[in-house]
Amino acid sequence: MSIQENIMIPTQLVDVKNIDDSSGPYCMSFGFDLRPLIRSIDSIGLLNSPLLMKTVQERLNIITGYRRIKAIKTLKWDKIPCRILSESKLPPLECLLLNFHDNLSTRELNCVEKGMALSRLTAYLPDSEIIEHYMPLLDLPSHEDTLHLYIKIEKELEIEIKKNLAQGRLSLHAAKMLLEVDPDSRSSICRLISYLKFNINQQKQFIDYIVDISHISGKPVSDLLGEEPVKGVCSDEHLNIPQKGRAVLRFFRGRRFPSLTIAESTFKKMVAKLDLPDGVKIEFPRFFEAQHFRLEVCFKEGRELKEKIESLTRKEGLGNLGNPWGEGV
Amino acid sequence: MSNFTIKEVLVEDGALRHSLTNQILQRLPGIPVQATKGVRSKASSNEMDMGKDTLHLVFYKGEFFKPCPGTREYMCCGYQILNVATNCPLNCSYCILQSYFNQPNLRVFVNLEEELKRVLHVIDSEPDRIFRVGTGEFTDSLAVDPITCWSDLLLPAFSKRKNVVLELKTKTTNIERVLDSKYRDRIIVSWSLNSPYIAAREEHGAASLKNRLKAARQCQSEGFVLGFHFDPLIPHPQWKQEYLKSLELMDKYIDPKRIIWISMGSFRYMPGLKQIIRRRHPKTCVLDGEFITGLDGKMRYFKPIRTDLYGFMRENMEKWHRDLGLYLCMESDDVWQMSMGWSPGSSAGLRGYLDRRVVEFFG
Ligand code: SF4
Repeated sequence: MSIQENIMIPTQLVDVKNIDDSSGPYCMSFGFDLRPLIRSIDSIGLLNSPLLMKTVQERLNIITGYRRIKAIKTLKWDKIPCRILSESKLPPLECLLLNFHDNLSTRELNCVEKGMALSRLTAYLPDSEIIEHYMPLLDLPSHEDTLHLYIKIEKELEIEIKKNLAQGRLSLHAAKMLLEVDPDSRSSICRLISYLKFNINQQKQFIDYIVDISHISGKPVSDLLGEEPVKGVCSDEHLNIPQKGRAVLRFFRGRRFPSLTIAESTFKKMVAKLDLPDGVKIEFPRFFEAQHFRLEVCFKEGRELKEKIESLTRKEGLGNLGNPWGEGV
Repeated sequence: MSNFTIKEVLVEDGALRHSLTNQILQRLPGIPVQATKGVRSKASSNEMDMGKDTLHLVFYKGEFFKPCPGTREYMCCGYQILNVATNCPLNCSYCILQSYFNQPNLRVFVNLEEELKRVLHVIDSEPDRIFRVGTGEFTDSLAVDPITCWSDLLLPAFSKRKNVVLELKTKTTNIERVLDSKYRDRIIVSWSLNSPYIAAREEHGAASLKNRLKAARQCQSEGFVLGFHFDPLIPHPQWKQEYLKSLELMDKYIDPKRIIWISMGSFRYMPGLKQIIRRRHPKTCVLDGEFITGLDGKMRYFKPIRTDLYGFMRENMEKWHRDLGLYLCMESDDVWQMSMGWSPGSSAGLRGYLDRRVVEFFG
């Protein structure tokens, strides 16, 4: 019999309390918001009955419908219509594939769920088959490295970090970086990222700085995050969250790149001292790596441009402007 | 032979019929040999060991002779790489080859002899051009020479030609076969040097600085021209005192007049290498510096840190001898000016400068 035929069985009413609602070996749901499903079931009922497996020990395990059962439990229904298979009817891989396709047909899996799906599949299928057939179904590139990354996310990251990842507060890139960090450190990092609502780029920078500083100073990440001024900034009621985030990043950047930070601020001071005309800007190249500075002049018409250029040529200090390091700085 | 061991030899399908394969196998009696098809998968040789104790004899279909992959943004010396192998039994924490761990093992290209003919043909077809060729770009030139005997093949071939020099760059003391050879002309034996601190902490499996310089002295006393490479220069605690110790050792062992060139480069790496280094060398200090993204996308030290390093080294090396053929590897015009007091102005200028050194030393 095909899988399809196996599951074409009549529904029966099952006592909710008899269903084992742990996620079990087949489910791949994580970090979801149950509220929309609760509202939907509450208003129009259950459209699609869960599929359960009766084990030899007479337990009812969930094959598909994990979230529906969770929602129904929240709604405090006593009974629920389900289809029940006996353990001998369907081998574990097929149960897993049923859940996999059931999920794929109804929603997009988050990163943690993709990791759950892939790591469960690896118990039954060779990596090559998963890479070739199943990763594209999950919208993932067919690469061995990507497979291992997702499995590591599922197996190694702590629940709190996974929640942040599943709910989009932590980027995949940041999660990948956190996998390289010890569990205590990554939990502290994740807590601060979540509190400061860093964007993807800020997350990456922050992890990079803090991990480097920890290596260089020999201090654990949690100690660094508990030091002043980070603590003070975070508890400062006069700052909003984005301001706190920027202040924390600025602090760690300065600590990680002391010479660069000093050079940048020295250059800005040098330019400020020139008292440039309105609409005139002088900027340094990124990291001072390229050899040219940049002058920007805003003007409405040629006469204004001429005036600004003339005013610039009269600036005494302009001739000394250059790299903000070395002699004379 | 250095203190590394080959635990296993893999012979790729296409490598079986090559005489170099047989010669190598004869030099490794008692080592298990296994025939393979193509590259071994990652599962059997992991990122941590990179298969450094597995000798993989390969029929290499790629390019044997290619220019050093310089970039437009920085001045490149126009070196030519003779690609004889990839990976290396040494284990320097900063080694860029670590990012090639999906091609693990010490991959030695056994079709070198046939390919060398093609390479020499290219060299011979441009008699007015000077080719500066090296084997030490994707491996250490001498680390496995006792097994591969590359020097037996390469020294006569290059020594005979008038428009080429062959540079063998190493961190080992495996100079026996080089010394046994009767060829000296147009051969440069070079050592990568660092501070004693970096050599001891970061260049795992390499000979001590003192032993490298003793080996260099021996080569020099037996008529070889020497080169040195302070690359990668790495700022670290007390780096000035530490690098001075290296210069003192050079002074003790080496006659500066027979040094064709000393290059300097500061540590730079593709961003992806960082995590690999952290995983493979958790105690390393090579990532501690202030790295910025360079114009070529590689991470490199913030400019004044580089100019400090080069300027300090130049000043002190020039106290030792004025004419050492000092040059910077992959640097910009302003960094040259700030640290060396002059600049070749362009990659072509740098090539000309080094070619003139070749003519001075070898005619
Ligand atoms: S000697 Fe060169 S090739 Fe070998 S590990 Fe060190 S840096 Fe890499």
